[in-house]
Amino acid sequence: MSIRALSSHPRDHVATIVVAALSSAFGVVMLEASGIIATAVGTDEVVSGSTTVRLVLSVVTSVFTLIAVYVGAIVTANTFATIIAGRTRQIALLRLIGAQAGRLRRAVATEGLLVGVMGAIVGLVIGAAIAAAAIASGTSAGWLPSADYVVMEPLILLPVAVVAVTTWASAWVGSRAVTTVTPLAAVGAAVDARLESARRGVARNIAAITLAGAGFALLALGVVIGLSTPIGLLVSFFGGVLSFTGIVLGAHLVMPPVLRLVGRAFGPRPAARLAAENAVRFPERSSRATIGLVIGVTLVTMFAVAMASYRAMILSSIDDPTMARAVDQSLTVTTAIFAGLVGFSAIIAAVGMINNLSLSVLQRTRELGLLRALGFTSRQVRGMILTESAQMTVAAVLLGLVLGVFYGWAAAQSILGSLTHGIIAPALPWPIIAIVVIGGAALSLAASVAPSRRATTVSPVVALTVQ
Amino acid sequence: MRRPKVIPEMYPTPSCSPIRRGDPLRSVDDMQITTTDLGLVARVTHLSKQFGEGPGAVRALDDISIGIRRGEFTAIMGPSGSGKSTMMHVMAGLDSPTSGEVWIGDTEISRMRDAELTLIRRRRVGFVFQSFNLVPTLDVRGNILLPFELDGRRPTADESVWIEHLTQSLGLTSRITHRPHELSGGQQQRVAIARALATRPDLVFADEPTGSLDSRTGREVLALLATAARDYDQSIAMVTHDPIAASHADRILFLADGRIVDDRGATAAEDISRIMLGMEAAA
Repeated sequence: MSIRALSSHPRDHVATIVVAALSSAFGVVMLEASGIIATAVGTDEVVSGSTTVRLVLSVVTSVFTLIAVYVGAIVTANTFATIIAGRTRQIALLRLIGAQAGRLRRAVATEGLLVGVMGAIVGLVIGAAIAAAAIASGTSAGWLPSADYVVMEPLILLPVAVVAVTTWASAWVGSRAVTTVTPLAAVGAAVDARLESARRGVARNIAAITLAGAGFALLALGVVIGLSTPIGLLVSFFGGVLSFTGIVLGAHLVMPPVLRLVGRAFGPRPAARLAAENAVRFPERSSRATIGLVIGVTLVTMFAVAMASYRAMILSSIDDPTMARAVDQSLTVTTAIFAGLVGFSAIIAAVGMINNLSLSVLQRTRELGLLRALGFTSRQVRGMILTESAQMTVAAVLLGLVLGVFYGWAAAQSILGSLTHGIIAPALPWPIIAIVVIGGAALSLAASVAPSRRATTVSPVVALTVQ
Repeated sequence: MRRPKVIPEMYPTPSCSPIRRGDPLRSVDDMQITTTDLGLVARVTHLSKQFGEGPGAVRALDDISIGIRRGEFTAIMGPSGSGKSTMMHVMAGLDSPTSGEVWIGDTEISRMRDAELTLIRRRRVGFVFQSFNLVPTLDVRGNILLPFELDGRRPTADESVWIEHLTQSLGLTSRITHRPHELSGGQQQRVAIARALATRPDLVFADEPTGSLDSRTGREVLALLATAARDYDQSIAMVTHDPIAASHADRILFLADGRIVDDRGATAAEDISRIMLGMEAAA
């Protein structure tokens, strides 16, 4: 049984390659940046011990890289699950003539490894090129001291390997449905195949709820401890990690209600109603498609809110206006850099969402043909797809903002509570919230362009005769 | 593919005709009353449809002129590749002709653009396909009401009574909140029939409606279509290659190589088979 037997449309893997390339490029740039900074600092006589600087920077940047890789893994697993759903008939046919489910699944995972390696290498080239360009322009423009910067060091192969292996693992996780395809599906009538059932391990639900419950309890404890000592932040930190892991693990419990709620807000027109139904038709799939964006938005907002609260408190305690302006400026820059680094995961999540919508429209060709035959105008079809896209983005951004403000406030409260002796209101960083909202709106539009073009050019006759 | 030909808007649809305002008669749309005069609900004149260009071109329909009579259950028969599906697609406004005219009632649709054709399909035509008839995300009620929702309106009191009657007589009342994947093939087909009849369209097109059903369920569906034509005066055009299916019809048109080769009244399945075999032998 070869991969060739399951040969797929090259378009299937564009998203996975892009996601792998983005993650690996990000990891490479992060490592290169810490290397460059360490080398640059090493030329300075005042600050010595560039190895320590390097180590600290590497640890910090690894956290950002891991967040990006994690979101990338969710996106890739989802992409593969969607691809498998589209290949049900092909898989069923292979099963019918005697292919083993396990082998087919391994073949799919191998496909994942191949595209993962491809994407990771593309990312390596892009990342190294960015680093080389930065060094060249930095030394010539004078904002980098001239030193022996090393672009091609062995260490940068690490993110490449991590990304390739993660893509492989994600493809394996995402192709779980291969084993549930029965040979009969090859001969069955084309009723909407329910590949992904909503019920998924009870153990997972219990784990998600327990983690979230324990996490929120710890957060509350951290806030209370924070009222007397900044050590509360440590407790809150673990509370935040646990509860957010619980939410991500239980995305299939959290996202569908949010999507439904947002869907209802789009009104009762048929295009909007169908869009609302489409967005929750495969709860597992849309949960994974949106949770990446939730993670990105939550982290960005959390950092921004925590920093804004911190900034508000610091500034109120400084009397000297010149000093205040300097502190303000440096805090703003720090916030922007951190938000940007964390926000990179949101870009990867966006790629996943765009891909999810494209593939799901591609898989609905017949249904779109039926709607066109029954009198859906091409405008209504376009409206439906845009609404679907908007619904997913709005749900993810809204939930991310709410969670982000909450976690950011909890962090600020835990560390600053002992200084202010009371509960402080979260400071809202409006510029960053505005950027998140505008980014979300742009994403809704961007994600719907290609699928709606495809959906409206297909003739109902062709769509209805597609098998 | 829609031809990019630009023709002045001289074909009023029911939605925009000024004459229709306050006029209960849909048929008096304009000066052209021939279709109705002839007792027809749809007709084509010198209809040709060609796929592709040059030597590889296929002439699917070759200068067909025929009318579908009002209130009748008409079967369109022919072997594979005879052009019967293409004829249905063109008559229903799903595809455009290469040349010739197509009329639904007294509206000429052959030169309409996509948006106008969409409205014709929505308001004046009903469809029952072989399979994949229903929108999977909507329940039975949602599917039946879909044509009204697409039009941005609720059924009138009169229409609601009609829909209630349809769901009851088609045995769908207990299934009204079920999704398509929870229904059997025969039930799905009955929902499709209910949806097609709900708007009381000029003409219902059925494309191999029994093709995916077992023979008993298939007979039930055919009996329902025949009843709709007889009791509700609903015009129905059914494309099929199954002699048993065609034997339920009031009239049978035989197509071969893109032409009408025979036109008869109700015929027994055995005789239809004989005609079909004769056509195969002649080919």
